[in-house]
Amino acid sequence: MSYQQRNVMVALVTHLMIAVYFVINWLVMYTGEGLVAKRVFTLWLTVIVATIVVTILGTILTNIVSAIANAIKNGSEKVETFIEDERDKLIDLKGTRISYVVFCVGVGLAMLSFVLNQPALIMFSVIILFSLLSEIAGDIFKLVRYQRGA
Amino acid sequence: MPKPHIHNNIRKLRFNHDEMTQEELAEKAGVTRQTIIAIESAKYSPSLELAFKIAAVFGVPLDEVFVYETDISTE
Repeated sequence: MSYQQRNVMVALVTHLMIAVYFVINWLVMYTGEGLVAKRVFTLWLTVIVATIVVTILGTILTNIVSAIANAIKNGSEKVETFIEDERDKLIDLKGTRISYVVFCVGVGLAMLSFVLNQPALIMFSVIILFSLLSEIAGDIFKLVRYQRGA
Repeated sequence: MPKPHIHNNIRKLRFNHDEMTQEELAEKAGVTRQTIIAIESAKYSPSLELAFKIAAVFGVPLDEVFVYETDISTE
């Protein structure tokens, strides 16, 4: 598994965990005392901060662990180089495009909730859910492209 | 509309250069080994700049590394 694949895998696992955390908390809130603006926005803030912090920490830890594993395996003479070349950038761009498409669908659905006379908090919840789903879709697309080799 | 194909002779050229490994070629061309694997198996078409770099590594003209063909059977 290459350096880029490892980073994408870490990002995918992080986004999946945070999406599950968001959905569980949202369902508990929805079925319990109902959607309250303060709690929804607190959950929103928690999700955004957790996504940033956990992704950064996960990437750093993965790279440290893989560098140590590589040093043990190959000895200290051969240092693993982390190059990002044109193919990585192309896959990254295509993954970002998929993320934007999924997020656009989410924004459309969020606007549709107004048409269906749903409260504004539903719209905000759909937007944050699709921001996570868009990242997951982008990560899966990148992993598939790396697996296929193209 | 004819379907274009880009074939390459990287495997043959590596063999002719003392069995140069994909890792060595990747290092000399400044890309990852995965990119060389993708190019060699014709799953990825490199940029013109990278194509020239690969040709320069082998010391041959570009058209000895990459061959552009159109599939006339689909016309």
